[in-house]
Amino acid sequence: MTDRHNRRPQAFRLDDPGVVFADEGQPAPRGAVVVTPTPPIPDMAEEIALPPPPPRSSRWGVLFWTGLGGLVSLGLGLAVSKLVEDLFARADWLGYVGAGFAAAFVVACLGLLARETFGLMRLKTLNKLRERAALALEKDDRRVAEGVTKELITLSRGSPGLLRARTELASHLDAIIDGADLIRLTERHLMAPLDAEATRLVSNAAKRVSVVTAVSPRAAVDLVFVALTAVGLIRRLALLYGGRPGALGMVRLFRQVVAHLAVTGGMAAGDSLIQQVVGHGIAAKLSARLGEGVVNGLLTARLGLAAIEVTRPLPFAALPAPALSDVASGLITRETATGEMAVREALGEDAAGKARPGKRPSAG
Amino acid sequence: MPSWYEELIDEARLTALTLLDRAEDLTSPTLRLGITGLSRSGKTVFTTALIHALTRGGRLPVFRAMHEGRIAGATLEPQPDDNVPRFDYEGHLSALVDERRWPESTRRISELRLAIDYAPARGGRRALTLDIVDYPGEWLLDLPLLDRSYADFAADSLRLARDPARRDLAAPFLAALADTDPEAPADEALARRLAELFTDYLAACRAEAVAMSLLPPGRFLMPGDLEGSPALTFAPIDLSGDGDPPAGSLAAMMQRRYESYKDRIVRPFFRDHFARLDRQIVLIDVLAALNAGPAALSDLEAALDGILAAFRVGRNSWLGALFRHRIGRVLFAATKADHLHHTSHDPLEAILRRLVERALSRAEGAGAQIDVVALAAVRATREAQVRRGRVHLPAIVGVPEAGQYGADEFDGLAEAAVFPGDLPENPSALFDPSLGFKGLSDAQGGDFRFLRFRPPVVERNGEGQALPLPHIRLDRALEFLIGDRLR
Repeated sequence: MTDRHNRRPQAFRLDDPGVVFADEGQPAPRGAVVVTPTPPIPDMAEEIALPPPPPRSSRWGVLFWTGLGGLVSLGLGLAVSKLVEDLFARADWLGYVGAGFAAAFVVACLGLLARETFGLMRLKTLNKLRERAALALEKDDRRVAEGVTKELITLSRGSPGLLRARTELASHLDAIIDGADLIRLTERHLMAPLDAEATRLVSNAAKRVSVVTAVSPRAAVDLVFVALTAVGLIRRLALLYGGRPGALGMVRLFRQVVAHLAVTGGMAAGDSLIQQVVGHGIAAKLSARLGEGVVNGLLTARLGLAAIEVTRPLPFAALPAPALSDVASGLITRETATGEMAVREALGEDAAGKARPGKRPSAG
Repeated sequence: MPSWYEELIDEARLTALTLLDRAEDLTSPTLRLGITGLSRSGKTVFTTALIHALTRGGRLPVFRAMHEGRIAGATLEPQPDDNVPRFDYEGHLSALVDERRWPESTRRISELRLAIDYAPARGGRRALTLDIVDYPGEWLLDLPLLDRSYADFAADSLRLARDPARRDLAAPFLAALADTDPEAPADEALARRLAELFTDYLAACRAEAVAMSLLPPGRFLMPGDLEGSPALTFAPIDLSGDGDPPAGSLAAMMQRRYESYKDRIVRPFFRDHFARLDRQIVLIDVLAALNAGPAALSDLEAALDGILAAFRVGRNSWLGALFRHRIGRVLFAATKADHLHHTSHDPLEAILRRLVERALSRAEGAGAQIDVVALAAVRATREAQVRRGRVHLPAIVGVPEAGQYGADEFDGLAEAAVFPGDLPENPSALFDPSLGFKGLSDAQGGDFRFLRFRPPVVERNGEGQALPLPHIRLDRALEFLIGDRLR
């Protein structure tokens, strides 16, 4: 307590002529005591600085891709320039047309590259945001939490449906709330509507997959359908939670989701596992096709849940994470019946004379 | 009457009351919230702010039930006990909002019942009744006396009075005591005079620059309806040797009066208002002790430790809950957190945690949920940065009250920016005698100076009603105390 001679308790009357009000950084008269009131609502206008793309984890990989990419683009450039030269040799107007196409191609490539880079950076920002939110929750750090909340408010500008929640949240920022509480508050405000939508997306995708699998004529067809649905689902979830993934971003996101699934999928809570086994068992007894459909649907649901955790910019702290039963319950109870109908319909088309689509089989 | 017999009767009565409460709970769920705190720790302000926030729907983002829109409203209801005055909520609120002054110190016990109309998260509609008791904080000091004999009480009190920190204040009493012979025949006039001197000494210990806390018996400072009663005319005197003092002596009279003080005044108060609580918030004014110096801080620690040992804390087992009340959640709150910058709130919480360390571990061992928070039920200041030359100070801006110790420049009208001093990151620096900080009465001035501020100017709506009062972490306190019952 001895090294703080210049920080003795002191008080300044605000009507004292030696005391002036000034904002931070503004010049003030010499020798005066400057009071800067803390703004009640922090300025929301400041743009967030996106961090630069991180270095790749493997140096050999970087070298490999750089070399290959360089060679391919050099070859491509050579081929194109040769082609244009040939075209010029044949006829001038053909050469100009070829050069025009080449220019359009280059511009489009640059545009795509910029979009991919932006998508990757956004993905990185969201991952960082989640880590910082987790840190703020753990350490109860107000400063970090405030940064996270402000960034999320900026990020959520893209969703007009969150305007009200955003305004309300911004008005809470001037109150003194602890770090962890602020993160929970932000989650309840901004994430709750998105979570509901995300659960609906996953649930619908799972239903679609299970029905299509049950009725598809060949295994290859439902394989392709499952893959396409999964990619589409991850993309829509990422868009919902504020990500802008391009092709590269999707690849990275997909890897993250699969990695997450590998970690959590096998260790999912006992109840859902039992449900899965039981669901499969009963469904399989009814029909092999139906069983496959349910299994594929459950797989999609699981994938969707992992994707939610990976794409959501905040960890689940105040709100419950959607469980398998939330998104897949329809598969086993109500949707099984629909699936069964679909199967019957499919069978009905094969063997004419049975129940027609859209009509209930009459009693007896 | 032997004391074990008294305790047996008390236990039986408590069990009967608990069973009655449980039966009542079946029809209307009730939560008894104990708002505990020494005098001037802000019990009345906290209670008023809590009622205002719940009935008017304050800004409570962290209080989930309110934030999720599941609380339809809260209404004041007739209290359960007809022989206890009603908590003067309207009077205290108008003092805060209209006159911009803090409510006067509480002189007697009062009660209020609040019915919260809410929807559980799974749907439906229910009501939760919240019983709130306000009482003079001085009376809390009596709780540790319950299992102390007169000899213990006299020895402890005199040891404290002869302590260097208090010796000067106690000089008149100690001088009178030196002329007194405990074995002399009982003399009413002498007893009265000793009691008066003792009371004066206790009152002097509460001055702002001293701010002592451990000042039993509490009714001497705040007699309530008992002013001048014989039960209050005793004082600690030096007892010679062991065994009971000879019959008819002054010492024997003092002892008899002390015992009846315990049995007639302290025990019923404890039984009626403390032994049946479900939740508890302990409000502690750490800043006043920091103002006054290390002696006041260690005194506060001792007082809190004695009081908190008297509470029944612990998890309710389903069978035990039928017969015994246990306090399931305890929140320790450092009040007046608006008197320092929010960057100092974490160190303040650390100091509070250190102050109630023993009580914390005891309650945790018993299975109760514990939390520590720095709060301000009514926020009287806003924050600012002050720059003087190259020194930047995190300051608070408000209207300091007039007539504070060593702060004559404030008239209670002008605003001021105040930097109250840096709280140490590590609280043990305050409790270490070799590093001891300097109090207000020190010649060089104290290390801390927490000024008292007047209540804020409150905005009003079109009908002239006060809009929600500003606060710091009142919502977090509510979430911890009653949030789980509103799920």
